[in-house]
Amino acid sequence: MQTKIPSTSNVMTTLLRADFITQWRNRRSVIMVLLVPVIIVISWKSLVARLGGPFVLSNCITVGLTAIGLMGYTNSIARDRDKGIFQRLRVAPVPSWSIMMSRLVVQLVMILLVTLGVFFAGYYFDKISMPMQGYSLAFICALVGGAVYLSLGQVIVGLIQNPETVSSTTRLVYFAFIMVGMFGELGVLGKEIGEIVKWSPYGAVKRIISDSLQPGAWNIHSSIALLVTFGYTMIFSVLGINWFKWNSR
Amino acid sequence: MNDNGQATILQVEQLNVYYDTFHAVRNVSFEVRAGEIFGLLGPNGAGKTSTLAAIEGLLQPRSGKIHVAGYDIAEKKKYARASMGVQLQATSFQPELLVPEIIQLYAGVYGVEMNKQKVDSILKEIELSSASSKRFGQLSGGQQQRVSLVIAMIHNPELVLLDEPTTGLDPQSRRQLWERMENMRSKKHGILVTTHSMEEAESVCDRIAIIDHGQIIAIDEPQRLIDLHRDDPKVISVSRRGRITLEDVFIGLTGKQIRS
Ligand SMILES: Nc1ncnc2c1ncn2[C@@H]1O[C@H](COP(=O)(O)OP(=O)(O)OP(=O)(O)O)[C@@H](O)[C@H]1O
Ligand SMILES: [Mg+2]
Repeated sequence: MQTKIPSTSNVMTTLLRADFITQWRNRRSVIMVLLVPVIIVISWKSLVARLGGPFVLSNCITVGLTAIGLMGYTNSIARDRDKGIFQRLRVAPVPSWSIMMSRLVVQLVMILLVTLGVFFAGYYFDKISMPMQGYSLAFICALVGGAVYLSLGQVIVGLIQNPETVSSTTRLVYFAFIMVGMFGELGVLGKEIGEIVKWSPYGAVKRIISDSLQPGAWNIHSSIALLVTFGYTMIFSVLGINWFKWNSR
Repeated sequence: MNDNGQATILQVEQLNVYYDTFHAVRNVSFEVRAGEIFGLLGPNGAGKTSTLAAIEGLLQPRSGKIHVAGYDIAEKKKYARASMGVQLQATSFQPELLVPEIIQLYAGVYGVEMNKQKVDSILKEIELSSASSKRFGQLSGGQQQRVSLVIAMIHNPELVLLDEPTTGLDPQSRRQLWERMENMRSKKHGILVTTHSMEEAESVCDRIAIIDHGQIIAIDEPQRLIDLHRDDPKVISVSRRGRITLEDVFIGLTGKQIRS
C-alpha cells in the first residue's frame, strides 16, 4: 500500500463540481437572490430620470451583493458546519483553505450573475445604457464590493454557531443594511445618518460601483470609498477567519 | 514492527485531550496492528470519539504522539490522513447530492480513479443501486450510514476508523459490514472500531480496549478479558445467567452507574 496524495488542482475541481451541483439543486433560493435586485431595477423605472442610471444600477447590485454574502454564503456555511459536512471533508488529505475557496468561487459566480442580471434588466426595462468600459469596471467593483459582504458573513458564522440563530441574524442585518442604506442614501433619514451610510459598507460599495459605471465620474471620494471597501474586507476577514470554528460543538 | 512481528498501523502514545479545563482523554496509549480489528469500548462520554478526533487531526491534543502508517499526525498530517479512512459518528454529506455524486466527490478528494462502472459496482455492493437517483438527504438513516461506510474505505486505506458504525444498521447490513471489516483484515489493513455492542466486540474484534472517564482500564483479547475477570466479585455480581459474558466484564469494570 502506498500513500497517495491527490493534487490540489484535482481536489479543487472535485470540490467545485460538488459545490456547484449543490448550488444548482438549491436554485429556488438562488433565483430569489437574483430576482430581488432585478425586480427593484424594473420597479424603479420612473426614478431613473431623477436619480440617474448609475445610482439605480449600483443600488440594486449592492442589494444583490448583500443578499449573496449575508444570506447565501453565510447560511450555507452555518448549515454545513452543523451537519458535520466540513469535518468529514477535513479528515481527507485536502487543505482546509481549499474547502472554503471552493465555496467562495461559487459565490463569485453568483456576484457576476447578479451584476449581469441588473445590467440587462436596466438596459431592457429602464433603457439605462452605459459605456462598455463602465460595465467592465463595475464588474470588478462588484467583485470587490461583494467581498465585503462575504467577509461580513464570515464574521457572523465566526461569532454564532447555531444555524438558526445565524439565519435570523443575517436576515436582520440584511434588512437593516437595505433599509438604512437605501433610505439613508435618498436623504430620508436626515443628514447625519446619510453621512454614516455613505461610508458604511453599503454606501462605500454602492459608490465604487456607481462611479465606476461612468468613467468620468471617478474622483478622490471614489478612491477613498474603494480604500474603505478594502479596509472593511480586511478587518472582517481577519476577524471572521480567526473566530471561525469548523465544528459546531 | 512489534513483538508479534506484525506491522503497527496506528500508534497512540500517552494521549491527553482537554476541552478547556475538562480532561477528556487521559494518558491513552494503544496500537492497532496490520490485519487486526481493534475495538474501543466505553460508556457514553468515555472519550472514544475524542480519541478518534485526535487521531484524525480534528483536534489538537494537549500532549501525546500519534503515528498513522508511520506518519506523525502532527508533522505529516496530509500523509497520515491519506492513509486513513474515516467514518465519523456524526457524519453527513451534502443532502442535495445524489449518492453517485458523493462517491465521485470523495474519490476525487482521495485521488481515486472513478468511472461510471466503478460507481455502479459500489452502489451494488451496498445495495443502493435502486437509490442511485436519490439525494443523500432522502435516504433512510441506515442507508446513509452505508454510504458513509463505503466512503470510509473508498481509497483502500491502511487504517480504517469507524465510530459506532453499526448504530442504526439492520442485522443484514451489520453482518455485511462485519464481513467487509474481516475482508479488510485479511488484506492486512488495520481497523479501529468503537461500539456499544458487546456482541459485535466479541464476534469481530481481535483485541479490545475498555475506556472509562478518559482512561484505558483494560486491553486484551475479548475471551482473555472474560477469563481474566471471571472471578472478580464485581463482575460476578452483575452477571445475569450464571455464564460470564463480555458485557458482564464491561459493566463490572466500568460500574452500573449511567453516565451523565
Ligand atoms: N467540543 C467539546 N467541548 C466540551 N466537551 C466536550 C466536547 N466534545 C466532547 N466533550 C466531552 O468529552 C467527553 C468525551 O466525549 P466523547 O464524545 O469523546 O465520548 P464518547 O466516548 O465518544 O461517547 P459516546 O459513546 O456517547 O459517543 C464527554 O464528557 C463530552 O461531554
Ligand atoms: Mg462517541
